[in-house]
Amino acid sequence: MDRNAVLGCLIFLPMAGAFVSYVIGRFRKNIRDCFADALVILEFILALFLFVDFGKSGTAQFHIEEFAGYGIHFVMDGFRSIYALIAALMWMMTTVFSGEYFRSYRNRNRYYLFTLLTLGATMGVFLSADLYTAFIFFEMMSFTSYVWVAHDEKKASMRAAQTYLAVAVIGGMIMLMGLFLLYHTLGTLEIASLLEAGRLCENKGLLYAAGTCIAIGFGAKAGAFPLHIWLPKAHPVAPAPASALLSGILTKSGIFGVLAVSCSLFYGDALWGEAILIIGTITMFSGAVLALFSVDLKRTLACSSMSQIGFILVGIGMQGLLGFLKEGKALAGAGTLLHMINHSLIKLVLFMAAGVVFMNIHKLDLNEIRGFGRKKPLLCFVFLMGALGIGGIPLFNGYVSKTLLHESIVEYREYYFLSSQMAGSGFLPEGMAFIEWIFLVSGGLTVAYMTKLFIAVFVEKNRDEQVQKSFDEKKNYMNVASGISLTVSALLIPALGMLPNLLMDGLADRGRDFMHAGHLEEVHYFSLESLKGAGISMGIGILVYCLIVRFLLMKKTEAGRVYVDRWPSKLDLENGLYRPILKALNGLCGFFCRILDSLVDWIVVFLRKTVYRDRPFPFELQEGTMFTYRLGTICNKVQTWVEKKFPNPKRRHHEFVHEFALVHLQLIENRMVISRSLSFGLLLICIGLILTTIYLLGVHW
Amino acid sequence: MNEVMLSIIVILPLITGVLIPLLPFKKRNSMLFFIETAVILNSILVWMLLLHRPEEGFTLIHFTGNLSVTFKLDGLACVFAGLISLLWPLATLYSFEYMKHEGHEKVFFMFYTVTYGVTLGIATSANIFSMYFFYEILTLVTVPMVLHTLKREAVLAARTYLYYSIGGAAFAFIGMIMVIVYGTTTDFIYGGVLNQGSYPGNVNLLLLVYVLAFMGFGVKAAIWPFCGWLPKAGVAPTPVTALLHAVAVVKSGAFAIMRLTYYSFGTDFLRGTWAQDVVMGFTIFTIVFGCSMAVKERHLKRRLAYSTISNLSYILYGVTIMTPLGLLGALVHMVSHAFMKICSFFCAGAIMYQSGKEYVYQLNGFGKKMPKTFGIFTLSALALMGMPGLCGFIAKFRLAEAAVTSQNTLAYVGIGALLISAILTAIYMLGIVIRAFFPSRDFDEDGIGDIKDPNWMMLLPLGLFAVGIVVMGLYPGPLLKLFSDISNGLF
Repeated sequence: MDRNAVLGCLIFLPMAGAFVSYVIGRFRKNIRDCFADALVILEFILALFLFVDFGKSGTAQFHIEEFAGYGIHFVMDGFRSIYALIAALMWMMTTVFSGEYFRSYRNRNRYYLFTLLTLGATMGVFLSADLYTAFIFFEMMSFTSYVWVAHDEKKASMRAAQTYLAVAVIGGMIMLMGLFLLYHTLGTLEIASLLEAGRLCENKGLLYAAGTCIAIGFGAKAGAFPLHIWLPKAHPVAPAPASALLSGILTKSGIFGVLAVSCSLFYGDALWGEAILIIGTITMFSGAVLALFSVDLKRTLACSSMSQIGFILVGIGMQGLLGFLKEGKALAGAGTLLHMINHSLIKLVLFMAAGVVFMNIHKLDLNEIRGFGRKKPLLCFVFLMGALGIGGIPLFNGYVSKTLLHESIVEYREYYFLSSQMAGSGFLPEGMAFIEWIFLVSGGLTVAYMTKLFIAVFVEKNRDEQVQKSFDEKKNYMNVASGISLTVSALLIPALGMLPNLLMDGLADRGRDFMHAGHLEEVHYFSLESLKGAGISMGIGILVYCLIVRFLLMKKTEAGRVYVDRWPSKLDLENGLYRPILKALNGLCGFFCRILDSLVDWIVVFLRKTVYRDRPFPFELQEGTMFTYRLGTICNKVQTWVEKKFPNPKRRHHEFVHEFALVHLQLIENRMVISRSLSFGLLLICIGLILTTIYLLGVHW
Repeated sequence: MNEVMLSIIVILPLITGVLIPLLPFKKRNSMLFFIETAVILNSILVWMLLLHRPEEGFTLIHFTGNLSVTFKLDGLACVFAGLISLLWPLATLYSFEYMKHEGHEKVFFMFYTVTYGVTLGIATSANIFSMYFFYEILTLVTVPMVLHTLKREAVLAARTYLYYSIGGAAFAFIGMIMVIVYGTTTDFIYGGVLNQGSYPGNVNLLLLVYVLAFMGFGVKAAIWPFCGWLPKAGVAPTPVTALLHAVAVVKSGAFAIMRLTYYSFGTDFLRGTWAQDVVMGFTIFTIVFGCSMAVKERHLKRRLAYSTISNLSYILYGVTIMTPLGLLGALVHMVSHAFMKICSFFCAGAIMYQSGKEYVYQLNGFGKKMPKTFGIFTLSALALMGMPGLCGFIAKFRLAEAAVTSQNTLAYVGIGALLISAILTAIYMLGIVIRAFFPSRDFDEDGIGDIKDPNWMMLLPLGLFAVGIVVMGLYPGPLLKLFSDISNGLF
């Protein structure tokens, strides 16, 4: 098989297949489902082939010259081979699961069409060799995935979809601006050559501006604070398989862009690393707090995604800050990559498990789904794997990546004295200690909210016994295909977690070239030092659960304790800040534009009413002219005013209009008499003579 | 021989147009056949000429001195003539179906066909006098089509259109006179024709006249504040709004400004002067203004008209960058906008024709009833937004690239305007698409009645435009090469 062609197939095969599946779906639904399953399995096999093949024979390239203006260019390297494989895996699992999940849905054909299109577009982003290609497929992905969010066509989903689209469009435009700037400054957008070009570039200010724009564009998709607003809204309303993809892989495509900029363009740049670290820390902590407060199964998972993205961003920031220390950078790099992979896999499992719940009872509120998982060992096992993984419990994959990230922070504090000699900027150790604590607390909150979900769904009984009974009776809660896809996905989590040095280090080693990170020395994951961090987090988690969740976030009622949403609804960036600003801007803009729009018309009207006015002709005058009429009217008015002010019965009353008219008539008659008389003629001759004389005198003076 | 053909492509539609009301057609179809044949024939002639381009011009009428009506095909003329001749047969086909119920068909098609010739006249004019000549005629022959329905608002719209156009032509006239007085020749020559010896001392006067002439020709290109006529003229039948008010007439204005800037005054003379800043400021403002108004507007066709205002200023913005790259961007956007806008207007027309609905908020759930029409509308909406892979993106990318490399501070502001406008475009175009495809869940589908996609006469042009949008977006290479030669004065 030609490897380069396979690379192209990975992107364009699902896109072509999407339309085929749509056409098939018009006639036969079953065949369409089978076709889609076959397509994603084929895609997975292709990705697996490339993954294995890359280990043997190195990079593959796929060019299309002049495509969309500048040509598009795909490349296969270690990092990309991993992410292509994960994307294909996730699509395979969710598509197989979709078959059952969508049984009772409308517009399934549309869903399949856009899911397959998004697969192609996402592959395009991950495999792109330059930022231009990445941008093209990124935009495509944003638009095709819109359909997922809007799929239900309910009011909440339409609103969430609106937010999603707005963030995507605005982010895309800002990114495009950054690309212009970058291309203008460096003359290249090839990701592999950004490192060299960035180093040689002298105009750092412009470079920072460009990098910031690009990072905002990608960061918006990743769900980084303060552009995370779409994430907690869009994920819960989308169908579960789509939420798994949105959360597991689409956010990662944003991270991919941030990585491309941070690890190539700003390689080892402490200032840049600092900025990313701060954003990451805020995202990590606020996401975890939001998740803790949420009482909706999928919303909790969505906020958790945001928090985990924060962890990944912390890793990226640490890579920048640790530019001076090779081992530290290797730690941070491996941590970042592994946490991306782990989060993708874990969220796949968790969202599909949530999908099983929703598929059966069409509810997501914790109080209503409470107790659904009792006596369902398979579902319980699957969910537990995900929960333990994301909580960072030893022997599960989340633990490995969180340990690495934690290690990198510790490393920074220990070797800070080196940094002051080499870079001269960055955080003080005290600041870093603070961040370390937030890191551990966020990890603790993760444990707390996952415990909350697990206990609510799988341990506690529903308040209503009838409901609980119906829950317990449900044995066929998913079919074989869904069961297999869930179990296989769930088994990956402990498998990776129990053999970290074998599997995880191998993955990290493969992906490090993309991040220009060094080789990772063997890490003792289960040493006491490493276990300490996880231990602290777990301790905090249990404490938070027992104290805050059980007491603060639950309310006693007659039927027992219920979960309540204590999050103040005013604390919502979107409704509290962004939407009002946009609305005000829109209104203001509209107002001014309306005025300006009719400006010319108003000028015309103004001119018509003033300079170009038609001659007013209100009525025929009985006598005199307009002038005598106007003058007479004014005099009459003056007269009435005078009579009122200084009454004097002796004074004669005048009809000025009439009198002036008479005077006018008199004048006309007089003029006629005069102009016809001989003496007038003589007079004119005299004036003529005098003027002539003066002229002659003037000339001959 | 070829030179004579230059005048034939202008005269043939004129004669055909005049013949339409005179010939006694027995059936409607035979009239339509006659018109379509003549239009297609003319388009074939145009394309033959484009492929075997005569080097020399052809003088049709010689008035006096250097005032003559002369045709010549240079690079810029090729682009505009090619564009027009590509779109006209398709638009004519579309209007056959659309005009079925509008009445006064003979009169309508007479003016419609005559306009074809006049627009080609503008495209192929070899000097500023001929261009002005056809420019004025264009105003006169298009007024009856705006008037077509003879309703009150049609009459008002026609009057506004006439006032604006005649007023604009007066300013353009001043520009023409100045070129005749201060230029070495009236012909269009890349780089400008101003006489180096004559203008020192009068630089500011010439710049002022340039600004006046720019605004004068800008009336047809709907630059703010002279854009009021365009949304009003939306009362005309859709084939008119689509072809004339999104392509032929408005692009004539933009084309005339290109001629004025690059071929008469010359960019070397204008670049870096206050005149450039003034006109560029107007274009940038119009870009944002048009979009903001489109967001506010609820009438479907008027919304598209405001969008046209904004997009025309993209072209003018490219022109006012006054570098070869700027002209390249302007040309790409001129061609791609023609396709996108005519496509979206025809979709709007199909919607109105099939359902009689005119307002955006009435379109809930239409996407499922008219999937083909709305599918193509979505495509054109995405293209207008600048979605990568479609032609609008190529154009915007080129414009922004030209702005970045121009080293002009105001041009940087323009990039910002382009971005804002793209976001606003997303709002006003996707708003319609979302409404049509994702009505709320409790939406009653039977409530909108039995609405279908239109027949092939309407769908064929739509499909071809859609193909054009995609092909230009995916493989713009050859086109860009050609335009780049033109904008560097090589062709």
